Order: sequence, then structure tokens, then C-alpha cells
Amino acid sequence: MAFDLNSLLAFIIFGVTIGVVYGIVALGISLIYSGLDIVHFAHGEMYMFGAFFGLVLAENVGLPYPVALVGAMIITAVVGMLVERVFYRRLTRAGGGYTVAGMGMIICGFGMSVAMVNVAYFIWGAEAEPFRANLDYIPRLQFPGDIEVPESYVLTAIISVILMFTLHYFLRYTKPGLAVRAVAHNKDIAYLMGINVPLMISLIFGVACALAAAAGVLIGPMQSVQVEMGYLMLMKAFAAAVVGGFGSLPGAIIGGIMVGVFENLGAAYISASHKDIYAFLLLILVLMIKPSGLFGVEAKVKA
Amino acid sequence: MLQVNDVHAGYGNLKILRGVDMSISDGGIVTLLGGNGTGKSTLLKAISGLIPLMKGQITFDGLDISKLKPHERVRLGIVQVTQAKEAYPAMSVEENLVLGAYTRKDREAIKVDLERVYDFFPVLRERRKQMSGTLSGGEVQMLVIGRGMMAKPKMLMLDEPSAALAPKVVLEIFANINRIAKSGVTILIVEQNVRMALILAQYGYIIRDGIILIEGNADMLIKDPAVKESFLGGSVADVSRGLNKK
Amino acid sequence: MKLKNKLLTGALIASVGFGAAITYADDIRVGITMRMVSENGQAYGQMMMDEIKGINEAGGINGHMIKATLMNDECKSDKGVANANKLVFQEKVHLLIGSSCSSVTLPIVDVTAKAGVPQLVPHSTNSKITQKGSEWVFRVPVSGRYYGGVNAKYVGENIGTKIAYICAADAASVGDCANMEKQMKARFGVEPAYRADVQEKEVDFRAHMQKIKSMNVDGILVAALAETMARALVQSYEAGIGEDVRRIGSSSASNAPVPKIAGDAVKGVFFAAAYAAADQRPIAKLFNEMVKQRYDIHAPDHDFSQAYDLVRIMEIALKNTALTGSLADDRTAIRDAIANVKGYEGLASGPISFCAAATPQCRDGNRTAVLIGYTKGGENFETEVLARVTMEEDFGLE
Repeated sequence: MAFDLNSLLAFIIFGVTIGVVYGIVALGISLIYSGLDIVHFAHGEMYMFGAFFGLVLAENVGLPYPVALVGAMIITAVVGMLVERVFYRRLTRAGGGYTVAGMGMIICGFGMSVAMVNVAYFIWGAEAEPFRANLDYIPRLQFPGDIEVPESYVLTAIISVILMFTLHYFLRYTKPGLAVRAVAHNKDIAYLMGINVPLMISLIFGVACALAAAAGVLIGPMQSVQVEMGYLMLMKAFAAAVVGGFGSLPGAIIGGIMVGVFENLGAAYISASHKDIYAFLLLILVLMIKPSGLFGVEAKVKA
Repeated sequence: MLQVNDVHAGYGNLKILRGVDMSISDGGIVTLLGGNGTGKSTLLKAISGLIPLMKGQITFDGLDISKLKPHERVRLGIVQVTQAKEAYPAMSVEENLVLGAYTRKDREAIKVDLERVYDFFPVLRERRKQMSGTLSGGEVQMLVIGRGMMAKPKMLMLDEPSAALAPKVVLEIFANINRIAKSGVTILIVEQNVRMALILAQYGYIIRDGIILIEGNADMLIKDPAVKESFLGGSVADVSRGLNKK
Repeated sequence: MKLKNKLLTGALIASVGFGAAITYADDIRVGITMRMVSENGQAYGQMMMDEIKGINEAGGINGHMIKATLMNDECKSDKGVANANKLVFQEKVHLLIGSSCSSVTLPIVDVTAKAGVPQLVPHSTNSKITQKGSEWVFRVPVSGRYYGGVNAKYVGENIGTKIAYICAADAASVGDCANMEKQMKARFGVEPAYRADVQEKEVDFRAHMQKIKSMNVDGILVAALAETMARALVQSYEAGIGEDVRRIGSSSASNAPVPKIAGDAVKGVFFAAAYAAADQRPIAKLFNEMVKQRYDIHAPDHDFSQAYDLVRIMEIALKNTALTGSLADDRTAIRDAIANVKGYEGLASGPISFCAAATPQCRDGNRTAVLIGYTKGGENFETEVLARVTMEEDFGLE
């Protein structure tokens, strides 16, 4: 395709707006990883459930879109906490906690992913559902060169950024946030500080699932809501988390934006028919140059 | 204050403690001595709740705490400072200390205690805004003890506070442990530096292969030739003889 | 409510299946494999089973009952081929009906050609299906090569020739895009103003739409399966491309999920199809009413009419077949009887005729397409007929 600066700019801007959504899902994956030492493979389904909860709240219950967004986050957080309590934590009972349960936990995550897809299929069916959000009150963004960013993308970017800063504030300046960081670093020490570690693990899981739900509700109006939507998002968010450095929260966001921009540019200038490959191309490139990811910390040493 | 009755505990199928009895009364410093792998740290973990009991019972102030979770025991006043000298490297010194007071709601008192910790360890005040990952080994040890104090413990358990530290720093830390004890906190200290520990403490337990071999007043234990011999490479039999002599 | 429907449909399928299981040795065995993953998809299969049941209740075909086996291939080639093999070799069907998605039908053509089983294609439009030279395949729908011509003619004459193409990677859409491109070049000598080949289930078209917007095109061809198409349509408006730029749909545009998901973004979209719910003929009005009552479907798309027409064509052919009891002979006889169906006038946009040669001219039964435009989106969408065009038999062939 012919090259011109305007369309390059457009591809980058749209890449960023979808990238921040990858970023907030990746943020959840990273949060769970740093807090619980598991790679949560059912996180894409949390995203899908969040989208459906948002849809039900907005269309069937009739709540305004922002309220539906918050509602979906809360419901999905509760679902996530239940899943963690009822299923995942059972695996840690054998001893050693989350750090040791490793492989079993990964398989359990995959199983949960399949199970959740089927539950969703049973409740909502296989057809894509339209999600019509009234966003007229959000302004369209006008960039030089006749690039116009539609309302839904403006909203997506704004809410994603708000969520990121809220999470940052929560982790850095609040007492439960401090406790979450303590649990993430070392559960035994956190216990000895008097921190209710099981509760904090639930909290971490809930927050991570709420972030995924927010992404689902944000993406819903653009892409419609469908049972199988989670898989692709997991792949992209996973790539984002690894690119940014697994376990690094700022890395997850930067990784998400990089994946979004990279795949949009690849689709525009190489070929759009295999767009999903570019995320992994980027992943391989980054891992070749810096195996721990861009913002990766050295592997955590566990006592 | 603390009663340990016939406690058996370990990791998975590996049983390390095989019937430990212990009784610690209010106030003062008690030391727990033993070689590597004898079960000292395991006993502390059993008391703080990090590992479950296989058998036996632990009571604190008359309350059975055997089934309580670690954070619930912290609320009762049992605070353990771990051996690995783990501060949270990505948090500042002050954040670490504030985290120590996690269970407390009395904001004003927390501020007072924070000042008290800074008075005990002035170097921490100097470094309050620094990430604790940048501190020296001795400073981290002061930080974790200070963090333990922030929880307002009734009983503070210290796991080898002198390990891998310069002698001068060890002296400073031990002096401060003594000050903490004087302020009314009961201290259970696990040490490999036997002489120092027995000078500091009033009472001592010697553990070997998961059972308590000898217990007694510190000034008695320190004179006991069997104890001396034992920690300079003597056999179990020597220690047992010492016990029999008593 | 949707769940209840699904359970009911499931129960219906089961009961029909069991009902048909009480059979005699000289039954005519018919196998069906289709995409039945959506509500509409379920209803297409159900309609065939219901119509076959109706034939049986009315006394069958010359005294023979039809035993039909319905299988779901979920629009997946491997499942479709597995279904076809099972039906052909285990169930030993006389006639195979299938499938919905072109990508599934294409490999099944090879199965039936090798086994010597007549195959009636209910929904697939990809031109290549009848170009493989199989003697055994018959297509009830309008071939993509005709659609391409109809679209190109209408677009070039009424809208303009500066067209942007968005082509998804599924077999039907790839074919639709290629046909349109070929016809636009042949008739008007123009190349696409912009062309984006996107993934089958692409979710993000925004960068393409932005690019298209800056090019001031006359129209956008969106060739994709229903859900992907709906997303592209919605995003084209979000990108700020005005209503004056016409959106042209590929063959999937007739599927109900398109107006349902796209909502108002479907207004003004037009596409070529084999049946229009807005058709004013009495038979069409009756059919619409029947579909509404039986399956609770707001307005049937051409996949319904084709399912219905297919059963009627099968009925005609079977009535003209003298069964011998030898499976191979009977299969050949049924094939020849289908090839003899001429000028069947049912719901379809035009008469359906077959002939004996294993060529697309003979085996693409319906050469007439209607151009349909959406006038309203949503669950209760509305359409209008823009034009009706009949093409030459060898149109679009090399």
C-alpha cells in the first residue's frame, strides 16, 4: 500500500486505542502472576463474561452504559473470586501454596477456560450479540490530517487510563494496596505482618477479573459480544504481558500499546489477512533482544 | 504466656518436630539453641502458624491458638521476624515499617511507635525514604526488627538476628533487643551464636532432632560443660550426660 | 427465552430423529449436514426435517418413506467431511444434502464424487463447487459468479466505479470478492480503489475504514460472514464514513444476524440474494407466515427458502425415480432424476433447472438474483427489492 504520513498516524492512533485495552487485560494477568505465581489461562473468559454481564445490565436491565460498566466489573470480580476460592485454591491444599502448585494450576486454568466457554454458550448461545451503547455525549477526537477518532475509542482510551491510574494509586498509596504488594512479594512474610493473605489473594483475583470485565464492556460496542471472544484477547494480552515483562504492571500497559500499534501497522503495511500473527512476531522479537521482557524484573527468588 | 504441648510438625510428609514441650512466661528473653536442621525455625513457624500442627497444642495467654491462621495470631500479639531478613526491597523503609503496623487501627499510637523505632535505630530515620533493597545487611536486620515492633507484639520471635553480620552490628542489635525486652515485650530468640544468646537471655532451650534436649536458666546453661562441648562439636550423648547431671 | 427455544428445538430434533427411526428396509435414506450453530442455523435443519416429515405423513414417495439423518458440521470442514463419510458409508444414504458454508461443501463434493452419491447443495455459493467436474453435485442457490455479475452491474450503473473492498478470508467471501473484482474489471475496466484482505473473524476494521474515508469512494464492498460483516458495517459508521457511500454486502448479508448485530448501520446496505422476504408473490407471503409461526423467525432469509426449495426439488426427483433396491443403481437413478428437474418455480428468485453434464452451466440451478436493500435494522429488520436480474448460463466462467 502506498505510504503517506496521515494514514501512518491513523494506524498508530488506532493501535494505541486498542492497545490500552490489551493493556488492562494484561494488567490483570500480570497482577495475578505477581500475586499468585500462576499464569491464568481462563482470563480471556473473564473478559468474555464481563462483556456479557455488561450487555445484560445495559440492554436487559436498562442501566446507563457507565453504570453497566461498573456493575459488570463488580459481578465479574465476584465470579473470579468464587472461581479462585472454589477451584484454584483447592489445588494449593496439597501443600506449598500457589508457588508449588504450578503445572496443575496451568491445567486447571485451561480447564476453567473450556468450562466457562461452555457455560456461556449454554446461557447466551453461540450467536454474536450486538451491544449498542449510547455514547453521543463523548466527543470525537479530531487529529490533524482528517483523522477522526470515534466516540467509543475515545471512551475506551479514557477509561483504560483511569483504571490504570486507579490501580496504580491503590497499590502505591492505600493500606490494602500495600498489603497486596506485600503478598505479591512473599506470602509468608505478609502473613507474619498480620495480613490476611487468603483475603488478599481473593482481592488480587477480583481486581484482575474486574479489569478484564472492563475491557470486555469497552470492546463490546465495537466488536459485538460473543462466547468465543475471550481466546483471542487472552492471546493478545498474554503477548502484551510478556513483551512488557511478565509481572511488571507498567510493562503490561506498555506491552499492550506496543502489541496494538505493531499489529495495526503490520496489517496496514504487510498483510491484513494474518493480523493475529503480528502480536507473536513482536513477542519473539522482544524475547530475542531482552528475554525478561522490556520491563521484566529478574526471576523472583522464593525463600 | 506461651505453652507448647507435645507439638509435632513438619513439611508435607517430612516430620521435623517430634513432640516439643515449651513454656514461656511473661517478660524477659528466652533463647532457643540448636544446630542446623534441628527444628528451631520449624518450631517458630509452628508457633506463628505458618505451618500446621500434626499433633499437639499451642496456647497463648490461656487461649488455644493451634488452629488460628498466622494473621490472627499476629492480632493476638505473636510476631515473628524471619530468618531470611526479608524486607520488601521495592518498598521504602517507612513503608516497610508502616506495613508492620498493618493490624493496628490506632493511628496516633502508630506514629509514636514509628518515632520509637527510629529512636532505637537512628540509621533507619536517615534512610526512611530509601528503598529497603538498597540497605546494608545490618540495616535490613534493624528494619525487620523495627517492623516487628510496629505490630505492638506481646511476644516477639527473632530468628537468628546475628546471622552473617559484623560483630559490631551484632552488639548494637543485641543491645536493642535487650531494650525492647525491658519495655515489656517477651522475646523468644533463636540463635547460633550460643554465647551471646545465653548472655542476653534469662532462660534457654536446646533443641536437637526435633525434641527439646535441655532447658534451664541461661547462667546455668552457659557454665554447663556439656553444652559448651556440644556446640563446639560434641555429640548428643555429651549433651544428654549434661542433662542427667542436672 | 432463547434458552427455552433451544431446548424445545433440541427436543423436536430428538423426537423427529426417534420418529424416523421406525423404518422399513425400502426406505429412502437421506443424509443432511449443515451449520446449525445459530438460532437460524438450527431452524434451517429443522425446516428440512419438518418438510420431510410432511412428505412421509402424506404417504411418502411412491410408497417409500424417507428416513432423514440430520447432522451439525458447525461450518467446520473437518466435521463436515466426517459427517459426509459417516452418512455415505455407514448410513448408506441414497442422497446427501450439504452444506451451508462453502468451505465445508467444497471438500464434501470430493466425498460424494468418489462414492457416487448425489449431493444437493442447500446454501453454498462459491463458484468452484460446481467447477470441480463432479457428476453428482447440484446447487440449489445462486452461484457466486452470478452474484458478482449482478452486484457489479448494479454498482457500476447506479452507484459508481470507485469501490473499496474489504474481503474476509472465509471461502464464500473470498469467492464473492474475486467475482465482484473480476466483473468490475470486465464491465467497467476498474480495479478496486482499496482492498483489505482481513481475517475470517476480524474484529477491528478501524484503520481500514479511516483509510477508506480519506479516499472518497463511491461504495464499500464488505465480503465477510454475517458477524464479521456486521462489525465492519458498524465500524464504518464509527469511522465517520457517511451514508452517501453505499455499503455493498456479500452473500452472507442476507443472514439475520447482520441486521440484528449491525442495527442501524445496516440501513442502505444492499446485496444480491436468491429470495426476498419483501417478495409480494402469494407463495412468498405464505412462506413468510409459515416460518414465523413454526420457528418464530421475523423474516426468512434466502437460506430458509433454499432449504424449502431443496426439499421440494428432492421430492420431485424422487417421485420420478424407479427404485430397484440396489444402492448404487438407486443413487445413479436419483442423480439422473435430479438432472431432469427443469423450470422448478418455488420461492427462489428464478426458476431452477438442472441438466446431465457435469458442468457449472448444468449444475448451478438458479441463475436469477434479486438485489435486496435493508431499509431498517435490528431484530425486526425490513428490506426492499431493488432489482431482479437473470444471467446467462456461462456467465462468469472463463
